[in-house]
Amino acid sequence: MNAGSWVQRRAENLIAALLGIMFLAFIIQIVFRYFLNLPTGWSTELSLVAWLWLVLLGGALALKESDEIRLDLLVNAVGPRSRRALQAVMCAATVGVLLLAVPGSYKYVTFMKVERSSYLGIRLDYLYSVFVIFLLALVVRYAWLFWQTLRGNDQAGPAQEGAAP
Amino acid sequence: MNFTSPFALALMAIVFLSLIGQPISLSMLAGSVLYLYMAGLDVGTAAEQILNGMMNSFLLLAIPLFILAAEFMNAGSITDRLILFCNALVGRFRGGMAQVNVVQSIIFASMSGSALADAVGGGKFMQAMMTKDGKYPPAFAAALTAVSATIGPILPPSIPLVVYALVSDTSIGYLFLAGVLPGLLLGAVQMALIAAVSKRRNFPVEMKVPLNRLPGITRQAFPALLMPIILFACLYSGVTTPTEAAAVAAAYALLLAGVFYRSIGASDIYRSLLSAARMTVSIGMLIAGAMALNYVITVENIPKTVSAILTATDLSPVGFLLLVNVILLVLGCLLEGTTILLVILPVLLPTAVALGVDPVHFGVMAVMNVMFGLVTPPYGLLLFMMTKIANVPLSEIVREVMPFLGVMIVALLLVTYVPAISLFLPRMFGYTG
Repeated sequence: MNAGSWVQRRAENLIAALLGIMFLAFIIQIVFRYFLNLPTGWSTELSLVAWLWLVLLGGALALKESDEIRLDLLVNAVGPRSRRALQAVMCAATVGVLLLAVPGSYKYVTFMKVERSSYLGIRLDYLYSVFVIFLLALVVRYAWLFWQTLRGNDQAGPAQEGAAP
Repeated sequence: MNFTSPFALALMAIVFLSLIGQPISLSMLAGSVLYLYMAGLDVGTAAEQILNGMMNSFLLLAIPLFILAAEFMNAGSITDRLILFCNALVGRFRGGMAQVNVVQSIIFASMSGSALADAVGGGKFMQAMMTKDGKYPPAFAAALTAVSATIGPILPPSIPLVVYALVSDTSIGYLFLAGVLPGLLLGAVQMALIAAVSKRRNFPVEMKVPLNRLPGITRQAFPALLMPIILFACLYSGVTTPTEAAAVAAAYALLLAGVFYRSIGASDIYRSLLSAARMTVSIGMLIAGAMALNYVITVENIPKTVSAILTATDLSPVGFLLLVNVILLVLGCLLEGTTILLVILPVLLPTAVALGVDPVHFGVMAVMNVMFGLVTPPYGLLLFMMTKIANVPLSEIVREVMPFLGVMIVALLLVTYVPAISLFLPRMFGYTG
């Protein structure tokens, strides 16, 4: 739990910083274009990269169980034992499907090493590596949740109603 | 339909996984991965769709920025100042504080793009103002805050309309304009309902704000009231792109809170960034999942199939729109709105266009439907949020929501069958659809 919550807190710092970067890049872009008449393509690209990393890293590492948008009709309707069983099945299925996606995704990402981003000139395999990180982090997370569920550690459960973002 | 085809199996997997509690974003991704695998296609295509899709959709950047603007406004208690201003305006009528709730939502809606941000921002303060001294039943106050928050994403700016612009390839500028009159109409029917019941339910009249205090209150609220005008100018003078306008909104909100009202510090800014980032991740994950799933839907030619089936049944445009309203309202009870906009609408849109329905009109109508889903049980995010804020049982809030939902559906039918309500303003600004 401790390692997990440490990672989650650092991930929170990271996504807040990424959003801050996106915001600043836009302000710089507007000031440069409209007041100094200097178009800045790099700032657009920087915001897009920040957005991509924000969503994927945040989705894998920073989102609390209660922030996730999910259907909880069935899960809330059943008793604690069945809920635990459902959660175990869900975690196992998630790990399985995501692992299925890893080889193909890795191949696609490494294949993109031949291309570079248009303004910043960053190799696309570096930029896109976040997707593989995303998959692997989720695999670890759901494997851990699976293990916690089997051990009967209910605090890991997502059983709160109305996961509101 | 062949139930063992990869597509059917993938759909069943999505339904199964989301029912047993998997986040919907992951269910969509999982379904796509399973489809690609079973169909013998390259599983890496899911990664390709998501990565290229996210990197090429500049318009989507408006979403985090509009969320951030609302967070800054809430952290800087700009919302509370607006409520005081609205109270000075309409508090003097019977049921005045309830009317304030709606007017505040309309003003806030023209600055923020998210219904949830609206309810969070004004919700707590409004609840306290309305239930102080037992003036209004807490469940009524909570229900009203929830239903008035649905105006938010219909009036521009609007995150759901940005999402619709993405999937429908329509102009975000015209979509925003098209939302103005329907949003005001929705506010008007809510205010009319309050006026109609306030005598019978004996709603109180607020103490009149003395006229000599009005200039002071207005001066306090004035910079905040400028926000919609600045946004409108940015969007329609062509000075900035819609995405940049969102950044201007966030910067202006920060300026207001930090410099003018001096009500926000460095730690508040961090908290706003984090809270906005969290909401961005929630929505962004859904978008990413939908990008993978929409590829599958396109490969399988689903929109064309649906269009062929529906047009073959000789459905009139009126019948089709009614059908869409019913489908979306029912789905809205079960699913979260962004998912509906991202996955269901692209399937229905080709049919709408084939039947001669204007895509801008269709979008506004669909977003209204989706917003109603936020206040319909069992899955209504605004209802859940208000049970937490107001500490009232869900069932009591639901009972108070029902009459409002009734008049809102009347407004929805008007918007559905009188396209001019949505299309009048865009046409004035040069929309030729």
